[in-house]
Amino acid sequence: MITSIDLREVLASSVGSLHSDLVTRSTGAKVRSSIEASLSAQSTDSAVVLDFSSVRVLDCSCADEVVAKLLLRRPSGPGGPTSWFVIRGLTESHAEEIDHVLRRRRLALVAEEQGGHPRLLGEVDPSAAAAWQVVLDRGSAAEQEIADALPLAIDETRRALDALVGAGIVRRAEGRYLPLTTAA
Amino acid sequence: MTHVIDVPQILDERSFDQFAGGFAGAEGAARVLVDAHASEWASPAGLIGLLCAGQALLARGGVKPLLTVPAEREVAHYWARAGFFVHAADLFEIHGSVPRVKPNPERNVLLEVTPVTVADDVHAVVGRIQERSAAILTSELGLDPKATMGFGMALSEACQNIVEHAGTGGWVAVQAYSWRALGKRVVVIAVADAGVGFRHTLEATQGKRFGDRWGDATALEAALIQGISRFRDPGRGQGLAGIRRYLDRWHGKISIRSGTARIAIVPAWDRDEPLRDGLPRFPGAQVQLVVPEVEREAR
Repeated sequence: MITSIDLREVLASSVGSLHSDLVTRSTGAKVRSSIEASLSAQSTDSAVVLDFSSVRVLDCSCADEVVAKLLLRRPSGPGGPTSWFVIRGLTESHAEEIDHVLRRRRLALVAEEQGGHPRLLGEVDPSAAAAWQVVLDRGSAAEQEIADALPLAIDETRRALDALVGAGIVRRAEGRYLPLTTAA
Repeated sequence: MTHVIDVPQILDERSFDQFAGGFAGAEGAARVLVDAHASEWASPAGLIGLLCAGQALLARGGVKPLLTVPAEREVAHYWARAGFFVHAADLFEIHGSVPRVKPNPERNVLLEVTPVTVADDVHAVVGRIQERSAAILTSELGLDPKATMGFGMALSEACQNIVEHAGTGGWVAVQAYSWRALGKRVVVIAVADAGVGFRHTLEATQGKRFGDRWGDATALEAALIQGISRFRDPGRGQGLAGIRRYLDRWHGKISIRSGTARIAIVPAWDRDEPLRDGLPRFPGAQVQLVVPEVEREAR
């Protein structure tokens, strides 16, 4: 199941703002609380698309409160997160702020800039980033396929894929790895 | 007896220490006069620095200090158009003729002197400035349109320092003008408060770590260079880092004065000192961000 959340609408409903600027830490905390409340009624195993298309200014403090803390606080099981976040509609400026706050907390997620392709934001080691690109390009892939494509030793490939699953960037299903995108 | 604090003829970041020296000398005075009659120009940082002085003097003595209006008509009008007197009236007993002007008709005043106390004020400031700054940054300073969004971010983070750390209200002002030493147009964001300052804010978590070296200068270094905040949460302390990233990209400058010290990230076009200590004590924190015009040939 995919849930799409328009950040501009959440901003309006949670703080009553007429503006489309996601700024200040306190605003970010209110927006995140609203998102968490709306998601709490949903079952786990769901993908959430955070839509920034209508957001004008995003500052670091608000990016940390909304995006980084959503990732930190999401439910998780033995196989990694049980809900996944993807971002779309970012401007270059938004992407820069989110990338920075995620790196600071050693987090990562998939994002799409306006009119752009999916990309990783935050901290991902090079092997994991390369493995993610193979999964994305192929739509899905098995561990051995990815190891052959890179090429990497199977152990190293497995570690990279485990890191991606743990970070909530790809999903594992029936022995294959699936990318998370806004069209997931 | 009334203690007189002379306002320098040109009140900007270079002459602010002279003004701060006068302010520090007013300690214990029963009555204080802030004498601006000879003023010829004040930068946005200078104007809100005057308000900070008024706020601190009023809080200290419980009596409004006196303020003389600049004698030069054009200067007084500019201060009025910049929104200075509206807020000065709450803090000073004003002597002289305050010009009546329509609010904010001055093209170069992107944001008149505006109080910042709570997060809603920051929202309002960012919302109001965004369209005006876009026009100035792109058409006048020749910056890429992408610079506009980052400008709002930097303004927001600078204002949040007041909300999160000052313990009192402060002010922000944004203006475009010609920077004489640079020979170029610039947009300047000035944010200041008369609150507790960086050293006090960070002391509980950082004072012991720095030991005998702890002071206003080390507190500023910790905050601006090392990105340290008073919170143990690693996600905190990102605001100044975000401002630095933005200014670095557009060859801008940040300077922060707090207590007896002043720190600056100095771009190639400026000859400011990166760190100064032992300055006359002035309350709170005064932050200035400068975004310069892009070289004509680079446009």
